[in-house]
Amino acid sequence: MDMVKAAKELLLQDKVDIFLGYRKLDGHQIPHGFTKAHVDDLDQLEISLNRYPLEKIACDLTRKDPTLKIGILARDCSQRALNLLYTWDQLNPENIETLTVNCCPSSLSTHGDCSYLKPKITGAYKKAHGIDYNDSPKNFMAEHDSQDRLSRWMYEFQKCIKCYGCRNVCPVCFCKECSLEHPNLVEPGVLPAEVPIFHLIRATHMAGRCIDCGLCEDACPAHIPLRMLYREVNDAVSDIFGYVPGDHIEKSPFSIIGKTVELTPAPMDV
Amino acid sequence: MDCEFVPSVCSYCGTGCGVLFEVIDGRINRTLPLKSHPVNQGKLCIKGWNLHEYINSYMRLKGPLVRENGRLEKATWDEAVNQAARRFTRIKEEYGPDSIGVLVSAKITNEENYLAQKFTRAVIGTNNVDHCARL
Repeated sequence: MDMVKAAKELLLQDKVDIFLGYRKLDGHQIPHGFTKAHVDDLDQLEISLNRYPLEKIACDLTRKDPTLKIGILARDCSQRALNLLYTWDQLNPENIETLTVNCCPSSLSTHGDCSYLKPKITGAYKKAHGIDYNDSPKNFMAEHDSQDRLSRWMYEFQKCIKCYGCRNVCPVCFCKECSLEHPNLVEPGVLPAEVPIFHLIRATHMAGRCIDCGLCEDACPAHIPLRMLYREVNDAVSDIFGYVPGDHIEKSPFSIIGKTVELTPAPMDV
Repeated sequence: MDCEFVPSVCSYCGTGCGVLFEVIDGRINRTLPLKSHPVNQGKLCIKGWNLHEYINSYMRLKGPLVRENGRLEKATWDEAVNQAARRFTRIKEEYGPDSIGVLVSAKITNEENYLAQKFTRAVIGTNNVDHCARL
């Protein structure tokens, strides 16, 4: 397998100190940090269908040792996450080597390794009262009036069990102090979650950050269509600033200090 | 630097969700849900997500303590077990086996729970045994 050879080369030529990939352990495909000392372990390297936030693990390692050179098995979404983390100075592009995986199929490559290739199934009750996973924000806005949209989002939000899984799994959530843990914004130890404020805090913070990997939606025990919510806020960012998070290594409009941008308040229904 | 992942089972309740510990240089740094686990299918509750915090907590009890003269003192397992056995025997002889009750936990395994009820019924000689997850 070419991937194994390439990863071994990276380690043996000291281009990276650790290579983050997947291997099978006890029947589960789980991430693993391969090192030069155990380079033969790389024979077990797999491209797992189960995606884990490898970029977040890279951030954890970098925090422990900022000079550590890390190799990563990168899907398209990982690549976007890495670009965003470079933008926000969480990772140094000089310390990261990627081995790209064939994931999202295109006209050039029809085969892909991703659990997302099959669309999610939305049940009949969720379709009638909540939100279809596969709906697009534009379509959703066009099909439902504001009252209907509010009731549908509230149906989804009130299922929240406040596990913080969406934030914990998010590869681009790296803040040391999180607004979701601020006692004045979200009261600690209280269930049910304060809706919709809990989700709206996270949604506003995902504007210009979310790279649409879908890990949050995967981790949500309440089946809240988070991906669509963050797509909606990101659409607003790309409409106003022309910025798509993770597309390039460029400064985000939210990381530039000293430049004022005037926003005109507009009703939600336009 | 060493980074490995260890699949495990959440120790908080009897559901048995699969978790994955991110171990960096021998220390658990983060907990992730085990995506391929049939029980939780890649989801966790807030307690499961924060397993590493209690494992690494400085307040965590790592050895037995015995209360002597009103203060908890560090002891060896042999001392602690002997002390407990001695006091239980005394209570049982003085007030009868039904003066003792045993509460077992969802945080220990099925087998350990079985042993605890066996111990209560066969050794102590009472049916006063219950479990926190007996909903």
